[in-house]
Amino acid sequence: MSEASLYFIQQLVNGLTIGSTYALIAIGYTMVYGIIGMINFAHGEIYMIGAYTALIAITGLATLGVSWLPLILIVALVCAVIVSSAMGWAVERAAYRPVRGRHRLIPLISAIGMSIFLQNYVHLAQGSRNIGFPLMIQGGFDFGGDDTFRGSISYMQMTIFVTTLICMTALSLFISRSRIGRACRAVSQDLGMANLLGIDTNRIIAATFVIGAALAAVAGLLLGMYYGSIDPLFGFIAGLKAFTAAVLGGIGSIPGAMLGGLILGVSESMTSGYISGAYKDVVSFGLLILILLFKPTGLLGKPEVEKI
Amino acid sequence: MRTPVKKLVTAIGTSIAVMGAGQAAAEIEIGIAGPMTGPVAQYGDMQFSGARMAIEQINADGGVMGEKLVGVEYDDVCDPKQAVTVANNMVNDGVRFVVGHLCSSSTQPASDIYEDEGILMVTPASTSPAITERGYELVFRTIGLDSMQGPVAGNYLASLNPERVAVIHDKQQYGEGIATAVRDTLKDKGVEIAMFEGITAGSKDFSSLVSKLKQADVDYVYYGGYHPELGLILRQARQAELDAIFMGPEGVGNKDINTIAGEAAEGLLVTLPPAFDQKEANQELVEAFEAKGEDPSGPFVLTSYTAVQLIAEGIEKAESTDPFEVAEALRNGTFETPIGTVEYNEAGDMKSFEFVVYEWHSDGSKTPVN
Repeated sequence: MSEASLYFIQQLVNGLTIGSTYALIAIGYTMVYGIIGMINFAHGEIYMIGAYTALIAITGLATLGVSWLPLILIVALVCAVIVSSAMGWAVERAAYRPVRGRHRLIPLISAIGMSIFLQNYVHLAQGSRNIGFPLMIQGGFDFGGDDTFRGSISYMQMTIFVTTLICMTALSLFISRSRIGRACRAVSQDLGMANLLGIDTNRIIAATFVIGAALAAVAGLLLGMYYGSIDPLFGFIAGLKAFTAAVLGGIGSIPGAMLGGLILGVSESMTSGYISGAYKDVVSFGLLILILLFKPTGLLGKPEVEKI
Repeated sequence: MRTPVKKLVTAIGTSIAVMGAGQAAAEIEIGIAGPMTGPVAQYGDMQFSGARMAIEQINADGGVMGEKLVGVEYDDVCDPKQAVTVANNMVNDGVRFVVGHLCSSSTQPASDIYEDEGILMVTPASTSPAITERGYELVFRTIGLDSMQGPVAGNYLASLNPERVAVIHDKQQYGEGIATAVRDTLKDKGVEIAMFEGITAGSKDFSSLVSKLKQADVDYVYYGGYHPELGLILRQARQAELDAIFMGPEGVGNKDINTIAGEAAEGLLVTLPPAFDQKEANQELVEAFEAKGEDPSGPFVLTSYTAVQLIAEGIEKAESTDPFEVAEALRNGTFETPIGTVEYNEAGDMKSFEFVVYEWHSDGSKTPVN
């Protein structure tokens, strides 16, 4: 393979890795929007809390002397998912349910407030500095090239791919096959009607928040390990990117969020790979505006009558 | 921090002093502005600890013209907007002497306010040349400039005979300024610049940048900016097996880079102000810091100490607490300080200040290389 094509594949791998984590976070935005038509701005913070919980669990296990990597990762993952899910549920219960059904700006402001609250809470509880994640999954394999340029995929990148793939498959099965999944779809089609037909909509809405939060926690652990350090503002930018991915793919649509995340990730890595890292955000957001100009509902979004 | 009652007493005291009715009970307030929180708070710690020590020691020696110095601390989070708020608060609080700010991008807008309101500012850390380029009367610093630091880094890199060098920066005033100075020095020396580009401060994923550096086959990378981004770049470069050597300015040279980059921080080259705490003449001062359980080795501890000392000596020399007269005294005097002999030019820059190249180690220590 020529160097140019190796370089292209390398940037594609980089973009797909980061894009798949955007997709994981974007699911949370899109599911909540699909069901109650609000944008949960505190979602990025749930993801950040997932990363912090995972780090605390890892540090805790290290002090206990546990050194078997799979066990550490599983415990960290379980802790992060549990704490973030509980947080997602609590946020919905405390900040969104009381204002649901009011003017649509009210839950929006409540969400922004929640986001600021959680960010500052972590600032106070954990300090504002960067905290390092231990390097756990090292190494990688080369897929070609010579001494001048070798294309490589790190094991960490592979872990991110595989985990994301498993999560996405599990989510798709859950939504299409399970009882709660079916109820989720019903509620997203018509909340009032679903309620009349005996579906406990409050429970389904809470479940949506919990599922979104659990996936965000997985992303938190993966990205914490990938980047190697976290701080309380960690969730803000990732949340913004994931929200963009959700809008790009068509907010409300789960396959749309996946597609949007991947497109955003690849466009970012291609921009910094071929133009300049300085224009990364310019190109990604320019792309978003273009797509919305020609397809206002996003790539896979269905045109809807009345939902903001 | 201070109770309203005490503030009132100080306010009355200051107004008496201003009226010239008597100076016996007055205090001289020194505002200390820097990041207490936020991503570069560790530099703020250095600044506050140095300034506090100077105030304590000057007061123990009888104060300035018989008056006590009082430090009033403000948090600017290294955020330009917050810095402007802090500067306005200082004006409201009647502070007339400021040690700060730390980040160049904060110092720049804050100094506009100080100059307008007749407040004297000495920054112990901001190295952007633009700060003293505006002909302001009340702006001083106890640190060198990017235009001095850049050439030191550039000349050092050129002396290693590199084949190709990449220069990266974070698009901020400090980072881009210094990266530009390094690039220009390297160009003058005939070194090939493989790439010169910006990244977004605060972003986390640098895998594309690292692949690009690998493809460009560079042997040295200069990064203009702060440690949170460089730490991540180092770590991701190590994971992708990029074997270039990195170099950065004093904005990356602190122990937090080890937290972020871990082993990958080994061998990083950093330009820093000389280790003032190693100087023979400062050993007594170093012991005073250690007695308080503080670390005097950070690059801005003794520059902050010096900033307070210069304000105090300026006041004594001018025999006045009028910031304009103090500024005049600073421009005309020669001062013996922990960072060496200080003399100012018209702009408010020190006539001489040297930077030294260090090699950074993964345990947070450093060794001089030139």
